[in-house]
This record gives sequence, structure tokens and C-alpha cells, in this order.
Amino acid sequence: MDPIVASASVLAAAFAVGLAAIGPGIGQGNAAGQAVEGIARQPEAEGKIRGTLLLSLAFMEALTIYGLVVALVLLFANPFS
Amino acid sequence: MLNLVPNSFVPLLAELEVGKHFYWEIGGLKIHGQVFLTSWFVIAALVIISVLASRKVERIPTGVQNLMEYALEFIRDLAKNQIGEKEYRPWVPFVGTLFLFIFVSNWSGALIPWKLLHLPSGELAAPTNDINTTVALALLTSLAYFYAGFSKRGLGYFARYIEPTPILLPINILEDFTKPLSLSFRLFGNILADELVVAVLVLLVPLFVPLPVMILGLFTSAIQALIFATLAAAYIGEAMEGHGAEEHE
Amino acid sequence: MNWTLILAEEAGGLFDLDATLPLMAIQFVILAVILNAVLYKPLGNAIDGRNDYVRTSLAEAKERLAQAEKVAQQYEQELADTRRKAQSVVAAAQAEAQTLAAEQVAQAQQEAQAQREQAQKELDQQKAAALSSLEGQVDDLSRQLLDKLLSIAA
Repeated sequence: MDPIVASASVLAAAFAVGLAAIGPGIGQGNAAGQAVEGIARQPEAEGKIRGTLLLSLAFMEALTIYGLVVALVLLFANPFS
Repeated sequence: MLNLVPNSFVPLLAELEVGKHFYWEIGGLKIHGQVFLTSWFVIAALVIISVLASRKVERIPTGVQNLMEYALEFIRDLAKNQIGEKEYRPWVPFVGTLFLFIFVSNWSGALIPWKLLHLPSGELAAPTNDINTTVALALLTSLAYFYAGFSKRGLGYFARYIEPTPILLPINILEDFTKPLSLSFRLFGNILADELVVAVLVLLVPLFVPLPVMILGLFTSAIQALIFATLAAAYIGEAMEGHGAEEHE
Repeated sequence: MNWTLILAEEAGGLFDLDATLPLMAIQFVILAVILNAVLYKPLGNAIDGRNDYVRTSLAEAKERLAQAEKVAQQYEQELADTRRKAQSVVAAAQAEAQTLAAEQVAQAQQEAQAQREQAQKELDQQKAAALSSLEGQVDDLSRQLLDKLLSIAA
């Protein structure tokens, strides 16, 4: 394998996960904060809020996972090798 | 394969094997044997527990029947919420099987030490750890919501592609492709990432340290099964009721 | 680092789509059919049956409760009636007793009055008799006195 391609792939994989983690991180923080606010305002709705929060957190998590999948492709199934 | 550590260093249990498969050949077609082995295990487990649960149905449920009734009520609620009170009943088997199959697959991958069983190539893991399984499930979901839309609304189903404005036609068509893609990749990526993280941690520190990550993995596995089933039900419901704009007119 | 991304070449890798996919789909559909037969139908029927049972027994219980309440109300009414009747009986008896007592008292008073009047009458008679006898004596005495005076004078 071309060493340039190899090094570029490793870098790209690192960036893919790292950058993909930024947005969902902010989003999850926002969502969790709002959820806590909601629970503080309406403690009796805690169960419902928690369920919705977990579901939406998983959706956001999926975005990072997409980045991870790209990184895995670059590392383990590199199309340019 | 990326060799993370020198070979002499690799502990017995932990080896990072990504993208290796245990091939079977059936009629000139290659299939992934390890996926089928674990999926048969999962299917057998599901069928056995279902038969146990419904073998002697009692009015006051106990034991396995209670457990499965709880699961069924959960699935029904899920389908009812997403598809609607009127239409949800015929879709309970599909959505429920999606949920149960993915859930048991994920947990079997996380809880059962498949790696102790050595295969000639590749290793046993959750069936959902393989892209084929998740794509198959996602394509079935696509088929299901197409079928639901057609059987409910006939050719009028196509009206939803130009629903807000005909300008959105390409995006609406694209949506049909991104739906199964995101469904399959979400599930596949989550399960694979989970198993990889655990494997890397086990590789580095074989004792105790991976435990919290494993528990987190159990949690995300369950959530992913829930998400897959919820989204499938939501797509089906959406295909049956059409876009919101039509209802307001 | 040893870069050997050979897996993609020797047929494999992460994104290896092959005949596993359709077979898995078929397997899944079969699983759905089997689970429909052994899980969703019987347990769904059981759940629905139980819901019906609960609903009907709830309705029955409500009906019974309403009936019981009605009976209780009836009893209460009867109780109130009886109490009222008893009260009226007591009042009647009291009134009767009172009138009886008043009558007797009146009679006794009348008797007493009559006796007193008779006694008064007797007293008056005796007084009159005594007065008349006294008058006779006064007449006698005055005649004797007159005789004596006449005798002396004569």
C-alpha cells in the first residue's frame, strides 16, 4: 500500500471520528440540559422525559457512529489500498 | 487487518478481527457462516421462549408468560403510538419481531462469550454485527412501508412524493434511499462500535476496566433495538396516513 | 505498524454484501411468521381476553355496587319511617297520658271544691242555728229582765 494513502487514511479516520463527535456532543448536551430543566419544572413528567431523551440521544449518537463507520472503512476496508 | 499490537503480545481471549468472515458456499453463493450460526441461536432462543410462554396460557400470567406478555404489551404500545390505534394490529408481528430479533441478537453478542468458540476464520458475534443482517432488516422495513402505503392508499401513495410541492420530488425520492441506509448503518455502526470498544479495552486491560463499557453497551444495544422498531413503525405509519398537509386540507 | 489491508482483496472486509443478505431476510420473515403463530396470536388473544374479562367484571361489580347502594338507601328510608312512626306513637301516648292526668287532676280539684263548699254550707247552717238559739236566749233573758224590772217597780 502506498504510504501516503496509508497515512492519509489514518489521519482521515481520526478526523472522521473526532469531527463527527463535535456536533452530536453539543446536541446531546443541549438535549440533556433541556431535559433536566423540564424535569425540574415538572418532576411528575420525569419518566416520559427520560424516555424521549434517551431515544433522541441515541439518534444523535448515531451521527457519531456514522463517522466511526467511515473511520472503520478507512482503517479496515480501505477502498484505495 | 491493522495489527494493533505485536503478535507475541496478544492475549488469548482478545483478538481484534474486523471484516473476517467464516465463509460457507451454498450453490456457488458465499454466505457468512458465523452470522447464520448466531442468528440460528437467536431464532431458536426466541422460538423456545415463545413456545414456553404460550404453551399453557393462563388468565393470571406467571413466569415466562408474564415476561413475554410484558414484552408484547410493550411492542403493542410502541406500534400503537407510531402507527395509530386503528391500523396497528396487523403490523405488530413485523415490528415486534424486529424488536425482539434485534434485541436478543444485540444482547447475545454482548452477554454470551462467543469468542471462546473458535472458528477457522472470523469469529462469532451478534448477528447485527454484520452489515448483511442490518441491510436485510432495513430493506424489509422499506418493503413493509411500501406495502403498507400501497395497500392502504393504492396509487395515491405516489402523491406523497410531490406532497408539499413538486419541487421536493428528488428529495422525497432520495428519502426512500436514505431511510434504509440510515437504519442499517445506525444499527450496524452502534453494535460494531460497541463490540470494538469492548475488544480494544479488553486488549489493553483484560480485567474489570471494560465492565462499565460493557454495561453501557448493553444499554445502547437495547436502545438501538427500540429505535429500529420505533422507526420502522413510524415509517409504516407515515406511509399509511400520508403527509400531514393532506390531512389539513 | 504493519499495514496489511489485504482483507478487501481476499473477498471479505467490513462491507461484504453477499448471499447472506437475502437469506437473512427470508430467515427473518420465517421467524416473524413463526412468532406470529406461537407468540403474538396466543398471547395477544390472552391479553385481549383478559382485558375483556376485567372490563366485564368491572362493569358487573359497578352494577352490583349500585344495587347495593340502592338497597342500603331503601333500608335507610325504612329505618327513617319506622323511627318517625315510633316517635309519633310516643308522642300520642304522652299526649294521652297528659290528658288523663289533667282530667284526674281536674276531677280531684272539683271534688275538693265540692267538699269545701259543703263544709262551708254546714258551717253556715250551724252558725245560723247558733245565732237563732242565741237570739231566743237573748229574748228570754230580756223578758225575764223586763219582768224583774216590772216586779220591782210594781
